Amino acid sequence: MSGFSIVEARGIRKEFPNMTAPVLDDVSITIDSGEIVALRGPSGSGKSTLLNIIGCLDGPTRGTYSLGGRDVSTLNRRERAWVRLHYIGFIFQSFHLISDNTVLENVTLPLYYAGLGRDEREGRAVELLERVGLGHRMKHRPAQLSGGEKQRVAIARAVAGRPRLLLADEPTGALDTKTGNEVMDLLLEVHAAGSLTLVIVTHDSEVAEFCHRQVFLRDGKVITDGSSHAAHA
Amino acid sequence: MRRTRSEVVGRAVRTAVRNPGRSTLTMLGLAIGVGAFIAMVSFGTGARASVMEQFEVLGTRVVYIWTNMTRRSFGGSAKPLTDADVEALRRDGMVIERVVPRITEMQHVKSVNTTYSMNVTGTMPEFVDIREWSMLTGGMFDDTDVQQRAKVAVIGTTTARELFGRSEPVGQTITIGSNLPCRIIGVLASKGEQTTGEDMDEIVLIPATTYGAFLGMPIGYHELMVQVRDIGLLETAMQEAVPIMRHSHRLSEIEPDDFRMASPAQAAQVARLVSSILTGLLMGIAAVSLLVGGIGVMNIQLVSVAERTKEIGVRSAIGASPRQILVQFLSEAVVLSFTGSMAGVLLGWLASTLVAQAMGWSGGLSVLTMAGAAAFGTAVGVAFGYLPARRAAQLEPIEALRHE
Repeated sequence: MSGFSIVEARGIRKEFPNMTAPVLDDVSITIDSGEIVALRGPSGSGKSTLLNIIGCLDGPTRGTYSLGGRDVSTLNRRERAWVRLHYIGFIFQSFHLISDNTVLENVTLPLYYAGLGRDEREGRAVELLERVGLGHRMKHRPAQLSGGEKQRVAIARAVAGRPRLLLADEPTGALDTKTGNEVMDLLLEVHAAGSLTLVIVTHDSEVAEFCHRQVFLRDGKVITDGSSHAAHA
Repeated sequence: MRRTRSEVVGRAVRTAVRNPGRSTLTMLGLAIGVGAFIAMVSFGTGARASVMEQFEVLGTRVVYIWTNMTRRSFGGSAKPLTDADVEALRRDGMVIERVVPRITEMQHVKSVNTTYSMNVTGTMPEFVDIREWSMLTGGMFDDTDVQQRAKVAVIGTTTARELFGRSEPVGQTITIGSNLPCRIIGVLASKGEQTTGEDMDEIVLIPATTYGAFLGMPIGYHELMVQVRDIGLLETAMQEAVPIMRHSHRLSEIEPDDFRMASPAQAAQVARLVSSILTGLLMGIAAVSLLVGGIGVMNIQLVSVAERTKEIGVRSAIGASPRQILVQFLSEAVVLSFTGSMAGVLLGWLASTLVAQAMGWSGGLSVLTMAGAAAFGTAVGVAFGYLPARRAAQLEPIEALRHE
């Protein structure tokens, strides 16, 4: 861990129009560059909403949020898209691969939006797919892959743009234990290979054990925030 | 290397190919619209040209004058058309170039092999010049033949076929009525059938003097053909001819005209106007069908955006800007509209060609019409594709990702 804060959220409150209580209420969290952080808590605790705000998919109703030292809580949609493209990679529980695109096309997608040429895009995607053990599946469609393979494609896509922050929402939630462990191993490998910060939303305590730090949320508030050992205890 | 426009189009093409059902439905409406538009333009142009050709057979700078009296009848006060009328028109008509009278009556016409009943016309050599008819073989009789009441005839191609089959008619002899043998000296080039069903090639022309001398001159000519100096002077000629004819027929001021006159060019003008209005109407209907095609594009693209909401959310989450989403959907609309329009051009061309062949219309579709229709179809598709594309671009990524 470098000690430099990549995520710095202060007094985050998030309200939705059709809900009486806020989903997040005065949440503050700082994540250092290179950290692996687990966001935990029961359903409805606000952990996915917090992940969405950290990932610039959504903005807070109140509070400030800085990414890499820059306040991003007031950015417009176009600017938030730019930040996502260049700083953030997403991994979803249900993979969210584009079904009528091939594996290779899925991985090259963020690079396409970043404006890279075809050769560079494909070169980088092929390298990543080989790294995640799917070099032989590049021309396949997502429907032809197993769950574990789909999530490996999603990981390759998430890191293709060389983000600084990798956000995973229940990355093993749709997988069996063995495949889930393989995916976690891959995530840790990817984390180790690049100077990545990894934030994982998970229910799974085994997955949380892999993390440096665990943040517990309940009813939109941070309950505990500490090292895995402390949090677990 | 940066992303190129062709790559954007390439992706749109791949999306279209991977969703053949959706793509075909989107394109179908525009294809029908563009096809109908082209076909309507082509039908209108073909029909107008055909109408014009038929009027041209009657001569373009001609005013026809007929008497109000019935053939060979002495009833009523109307006077026949006579040489005096011809002379008066030639003498006093300032804008009149020439006047050609015509007698036409049904006669028995015999060749060596066969006998037919058909119209035989006694006229002057200028008859074919005024009508702008040309000769297929031989030539027209001349002024000497008229003066000498020569027993010569010029026939149409239908008459030639009926009387002589495949053998050459020029030089052969036909007998008109009971005792007028005429030597064929020329065959007129074919004019084709008229929309009225009249066959302009079923004709026998002989000098008017020959007709009068041997077949019996009726009480007057059936028609006077007045050729004016310029097509723009048709109206003037008609105004000029009225007092000349009234004077020649010695009509008092209170007596109505005992003759009628009309000009094929003026009738053609009316026909052209009517056909232009009809063509415009049909094109309007076709344009509406093109708009309906555009609305079809919008509907299917809206469905497509709804179906692909999650995909839009994913694209947005991984960093696609609203503009990139807009461009993606708009480029899909461009590809589908363009392809649909091109299919429409093909359909329209096919329909036009088949109808033109069936109707015997000449001419064809201009490249400009086809290109214009394709461009219009594409523009309609893109215009109607914009709303769904904008809707896609405005989707909030987080909402789109939650969409089921």
